Amino acid sequence: MSVPIKIKKRVAGILFFMTLLLIVLAGRLVWVQLVKGEELRQKAFAVRFRNVEVKAKRGTIYDAQGKPLAISISTDSFYANPAEVKRSKREKEIAQKVAEILELEPDKVLQQITKEQAFVWIKRHVPEEKAQKLKTAKLPATAEFTATNSLPGIKSVEEPERFYPKGQLLANVLGFAGIDHQGLYGIEKSYDQILSGISGTIMVEYDNRGQEIPDALQKYIPPHDGNSIFLTIDETIQYIVERELDGIMQLHSPKKAGIVVMEPKTGRVLAMGMRPAFDPNNYNDFAQVNWKNFLVSDVYEPGSTFKTVTMSGALDEGVVNVNDRFYCGGFVQVGGRKVRCWKASHGSQSFMEGVQNSCNPVFVTVGLRSGKDVFYRYLHGFGFGKKTGIDLPGEATGILLSKDKVQEIHLATMSIGQTNAVTPLQLLTAFAAMANEGKLMKPQIVKEIRDKEGKLMRTIEPEVVRQVISVETAQQVMSILESVVSEGTGKTAYVEGYRVGGKTGTAQKIIPGGGYSTSEYIGSFLGVAPVNDPRMVCLVVVDSPEGMYYGSQVAAPAFRNIVRDTLRYLQVPAQIEPEKIANNLHSIELPSLVDLQVSEAVKILSQKKLKADILGQGTKVKAQLPLAGTKVVEGSKVVLYTSVPAAGAEPETVVVPDFTGKNIVEVKEEVKMLNLNFDIQGSGVVSRQEPEPGQQVPLGSTINLYLETLSEDVLYPIGP
Amino acid sequence: MRISKILKSLDYALLGVVGLILVVSFFVLQSATVNASVKYELNFVYRQMAWAVVGLIAFFCVLLVDYSKLAKYGKLIYGLNLLLLLATLIWGVERKGSQGWLSFGPLNFQPAEIVKILLILGLAQFLVPRVGKLNTFKDLLPVFIYVAIPFLLILKQPDLGTGLVYIAIMFGMLLVAGASPLLLFLLIAGGIGLASFAILGHLAWGWWLPLEDYQLNRLIVFIDPMIDPHNAGWNVIQSKIAIGSGGLWGKGWGMGSQNVNDFLPEQWTDFIFCVLAEEFGFIGAVLLLVLFFYLIYRGIMIAREAKDIYGALLAMGVISMFAFHILQNIGMTMGIMPITGIPLPFVSYGGSSLLANMIALGLLMNVYVYHEDRIMF
Repeated sequence: MSVPIKIKKRVAGILFFMTLLLIVLAGRLVWVQLVKGEELRQKAFAVRFRNVEVKAKRGTIYDAQGKPLAISISTDSFYANPAEVKRSKREKEIAQKVAEILELEPDKVLQQITKEQAFVWIKRHVPEEKAQKLKTAKLPATAEFTATNSLPGIKSVEEPERFYPKGQLLANVLGFAGIDHQGLYGIEKSYDQILSGISGTIMVEYDNRGQEIPDALQKYIPPHDGNSIFLTIDETIQYIVERELDGIMQLHSPKKAGIVVMEPKTGRVLAMGMRPAFDPNNYNDFAQVNWKNFLVSDVYEPGSTFKTVTMSGALDEGVVNVNDRFYCGGFVQVGGRKVRCWKASHGSQSFMEGVQNSCNPVFVTVGLRSGKDVFYRYLHGFGFGKKTGIDLPGEATGILLSKDKVQEIHLATMSIGQTNAVTPLQLLTAFAAMANEGKLMKPQIVKEIRDKEGKLMRTIEPEVVRQVISVETAQQVMSILESVVSEGTGKTAYVEGYRVGGKTGTAQKIIPGGGYSTSEYIGSFLGVAPVNDPRMVCLVVVDSPEGMYYGSQVAAPAFRNIVRDTLRYLQVPAQIEPEKIANNLHSIELPSLVDLQVSEAVKILSQKKLKADILGQGTKVKAQLPLAGTKVVEGSKVVLYTSVPAAGAEPETVVVPDFTGKNIVEVKEEVKMLNLNFDIQGSGVVSRQEPEPGQQVPLGSTINLYLETLSEDVLYPIGP
Repeated sequence: MRISKILKSLDYALLGVVGLILVVSFFVLQSATVNASVKYELNFVYRQMAWAVVGLIAFFCVLLVDYSKLAKYGKLIYGLNLLLLLATLIWGVERKGSQGWLSFGPLNFQPAEIVKILLILGLAQFLVPRVGKLNTFKDLLPVFIYVAIPFLLILKQPDLGTGLVYIAIMFGMLLVAGASPLLLFLLIAGGIGLASFAILGHLAWGWWLPLEDYQLNRLIVFIDPMIDPHNAGWNVIQSKIAIGSGGLWGKGWGMGSQNVNDFLPEQWTDFIFCVLAEEFGFIGAVLLLVLFFYLIYRGIMIAREAKDIYGALLAMGVISMFAFHILQNIGMTMGIMPITGIPLPFVSYGGSSLLANMIALGLLMNVYVYHEDRIMF
């Protein structure tokens, strides 16, 4: 039975059909290989390469003088390639060796380096010495294996580690970077992008199981190192601030304390310190609350320091005059409620005296006179209720009572710094405007950005926000605040040789849930120096001190020390302007005290608000310095000599006074009067002198004085 | 018949083209198993060569007997086929998700390969008396039932790929037996439509399907591989990338990154074509297609020139089997067919497969050799 013709034709048809199918396959091949080829080639490239990130070197953070505060150092981190470890068949020996050098558990190491992964960290940031040991470690020859010249499958990679050479200094501002070098807090966080640079990549060829292929293609794109940041912070001033903070903590054991120093003309923050703090090198050893920068992120009711704002607005609007008279009966009645003064009664006083006394009824009256529209205009004008815009993360806006809800009683309490909550930085920024001829500056913490070679990339210029009060008002405020320090509640902030202004504050703390605490206070001091040419403004905040709590007691002394040391450091010449003193301070003509009983002389001096310094063991005053008839400033020291000087109308010899603790200006004045010469070594204040105090020396002798910068024991407990 | 006579009357063009395909296979296998040969401590190429020799012996054994003498054993062969499939179901060893392996001591044997040949032999005999009388669905029904029984047994293993080969063989042979092409086309179209409907029903309303989940997934990702690029869609995506990235000239022998880095699943078996296309490019892939075309062309010519209808049916059965394997295997690597694990004839690594293909080739050659024009009885 042969195949019929019909079937033969049918078979030819099948051939045609199958040819068609093969052509379809070939056509598809053309499409996939020739048309889509390039696209798929790239896909093939993408699936087999994986990117390994190479971290860029993080930029350094410097202070304004170029001293490094945060640097990156290179350390070795070790990882295992388990496949390679296993291939060597000597896992246990390798684990033993690694564990021995890195001081780890051998069992755990073995478990790690034999994991079913392409990459396992063994230990990161290994100290230099150990890293070197591990890199050169070898396996000895055994019966089965030959010696190796390294540990198979154990590899190292250079990883940068952040190091803060000054430890706790400025910690809450700097913040810190985490193990992967990412900025987590503070400047490290807000400037993370600039500091971190651009990571490079190693493209490594991998197979389908994710194993790195030995000797495979690798492509290296080098990282672009991060830029460096120069802060406006001055390390030396920061040191002074931190020293004072330690003093405050020691003396008053508060829950928190913070200090900000700012240059009013530019808004640059010169120092910002707080307690509690932490060591950014070991940030994990500290509670998270310690990492915070509460000066920027937390709000408080500032109390009397806020009266500077009330005063500025009222003076600028002309609703009050320095010489306006007020009466304080210990309280003021507002909308059927009493707002008390901190003192039983200040009686009749001028506005100027009211500020000096920090008298609540005066400020309440002035605040009410301004009215809420004016009051709020200045609140907003000084930047309250809005972030200052400083380059630090987590800044708070503060809490202002909504204007349409404000009633008289609110306006009254706001005028004395309660009800509204502000950040310490906001308050200081507003105050800086008063010290800067009424111009509000944006607070600035970063001055410059430079690349790794030190080439300037960007300068951050001071930024004027607005003119809040007139230049005249600002000057008026400055002179009133100067009198607060010279005459009023701020006396404890007085710095000899410099013209200082400021305002104390003692605020009752809000109890969470409502009302004010009767046992916890925030004592603060807000000040400026020198008032005629402000170089610095400073806010000291002490939260819940134990014992004394008035701002004048817990905050002002630290302010005084900071101003004194900072102005000296900034080489601001000491200014004693006799006219100014004559005008503003009571100048006293010294009576003759010679031949009086010592006790009587001291009494007279204290009546005249002068201090006595008694030299010698006698009971009668034999000589005095300065001499009778000299005009001196209130609070000056008068030296009383009780020993008998050598015969003669004019003493040919003088008793050497005690210069210890005095600065150059003071020494000069005193020595001049005694007809002595002096020779100075060092700078700061006198720590030692030759001849010793109390010795008789001929007129015209030379006293050798050894000066040192005062570094401790700068806090003086203040009496009630 | 004397062996020398057989040797003289062989279709050397056909034998030659298969020889060339095998040479290509050895080269590609060498490259496809660079990693696997280390992993399994096995030289795949040598083993495949050994199987080729075994296959060649089997090829000649098949040539010893005139195919027309097998015709009367049709029913017996069909019975043997069913028994083998049942045995596989009962004693089969599960390997790679399918119960398709029979173990005889150290020898593992995959009946799926040989049962295709048994089906061809049986079905040819079944169709001979029906030639020219297959014009209605009713005429076709007995044929369908004849194929459906072993088909369902295979599906049960489960081995969808071999099952589909059965269908392809059946349609190819039905065409030769004179069934209406239009009717067959309608049946295929209807079958695909029904299957799609059933799958839709399964997805939407949870209808029962005689498919395992992984088989269903393969069908779904065939429509859109990106639905599941890391699991079911992985093979399709990676094989397309391999083929496409080969370009015109290929990346060179042993230089295919998709192959060498093992992005292709078991690239020495079902995805061997990707390795060829990646490393030898469009040129290499088309060369193989041309060789396959010639194989099919020769086979069809043999069917056409067969001395009887039984021979023509046998030849067309073998050619249908080869053609479907080629179309399905290469088509799936390029994403025009769903993924079913059937090997590329004479190229994929695998002893059972190569042996069965050599036997099938022997059958084809048998139809050619035992022809009145060539051999005197």
